[in-house]
Amino acid sequence: PPRGEYIETDTGNKVARKATLVGTQNIMLGGKTVIQPDVMIRGDLARTIPSSHSSAGGSAGGSGGPGGSNTAVAIGRYCFLSRGCCLRPPGRVYKGVFTHMPLRLGDHVYIGPGTVVQAAQIGNHVHIGAKVVIGEFAIIKDYVKVLDGSVVPPNMVIPSFSIVAGQPARIIGEIPEGGIEAFELRELYKTVGNNPVPATG
Amino acid sequence: MSSATPSPDPRSHHKRHSILPAVSQSGPKPPVQFSSSCTIADSALLTGPHTIIVSTESVIHPRARLESLGGRVTVGRRCIVHERACLGAADLQGRYHKGSPDKDGRSMGAVTLGDYVTVEVGAQVESGGTVIGEGTTVGIGTRVGAGAVVGKHCTLTANSTVAAGEVIPDYTVIYSNGLRRVDKRGVSDLKNKAQARQIDVLRRLIPSNPAKFQ
Repeated sequence: PPRGEYIETDTGNKVARKATLVGTQNIMLGGKTVIQPDVMIRGDLARTIPSSHSSAGGSAGGSGGPGGSNTAVAIGRYCFLSRGCCLRPPGRVYKGVFTHMPLRLGDHVYIGPGTVVQAAQIGNHVHIGAKVVIGEFAIIKDYVKVLDGSVVPPNMVIPSFSIVAGQPARIIGEIPEGGIEAFELRELYKTVGNNPVPATG
Repeated sequence: MSSATPSPDPRSHHKRHSILPAVSQSGPKPPVQFSSSCTIADSALLTGPHTIIVSTESVIHPRARLESLGGRVTVGRRCIVHERACLGAADLQGRYHKGSPDKDGRSMGAVTLGDYVTVEVGAQVESGGTVIGEGTTVGIGTRVGAGAVVGKHCTLTANSTVAAGEVIPDYTVIYSNGLRRVDKRGVSDLKNKAQARQIDVLRRLIPSNPAKFQ
């Protein structure tokens, strides 16, 4: 059978064959997530500080590596990572040692083409435009729209329902009352993949 | 029921394989001089006829590009080059500049990075005698023009541009849409120490394969 452009998993994730996912053991996809070609996800930059509850009976542990999963990138449901974007866990010196922290995306997060995301946490229903740079340890709350070309500086916290633009990014507006439905990504999920349903409207 | 083709489902807990499409090493294989302690990811892209030098304890992330088509590429000690960054890039018209010889008549080489330089994701440092001073951070998506000389401990924030041939004084911060200011924090030593710690961790996280390029 001809090889489709996407690999479709049991949980409904659609991962393009030409996407570069490094360290997939540390990448968690929520389900029904689309990863387009040329996306790069650095799952190998995982946390290196051992957690306080180290596994007891470690000698009987699995082949190599620690027992528990060490998530570097956690992505929610119905997320859409467009072409060429890059997800990278942020890193900093913590308690005297450099370590990376997990990058967590919520549900219904759209990331535009060419965007680089190094945030610590992105909430639900967030729309990030094209060629955006999200600096390290930024926190984006729910229902936020980041316009194209924005540069969100490191450590910025973007409150819910904001519209953010500029370099450095500033809050330029609020999501209006009727604007919440625009963040849903279920329809967009159906339009990609090996058997796409044409977009309506 | 699972499909016939083996699908590497990132949520299953069997042995998983990284989905890394094979990078085709197109172009000539460059002569290289790697320090024994540097970390070169397996999927780094090194092309070009001229020499590429990577010094002590520097880290080249996967999918970083080092192109020596315009001349020699020198990466200093304890530098970090992130993925999709390109050292020795062509300019926007697609030309690879060759540097004009310096006052001693030696060829400048395409790109020279000082020590402790960080070149972040997607930055394009054009070839043609471009010099990045010690401790400078070239931000995400930044484009440094051909022949530019960037001073020491500068910070080029994301998506900024340095024009071709421009000389940036030491401790400059380039931010917003081309604004400049001077970095008066005096944290250069602390930043260097933090970079050394970061490199210690990166050396464990990124499997190095220098033999592939030699």
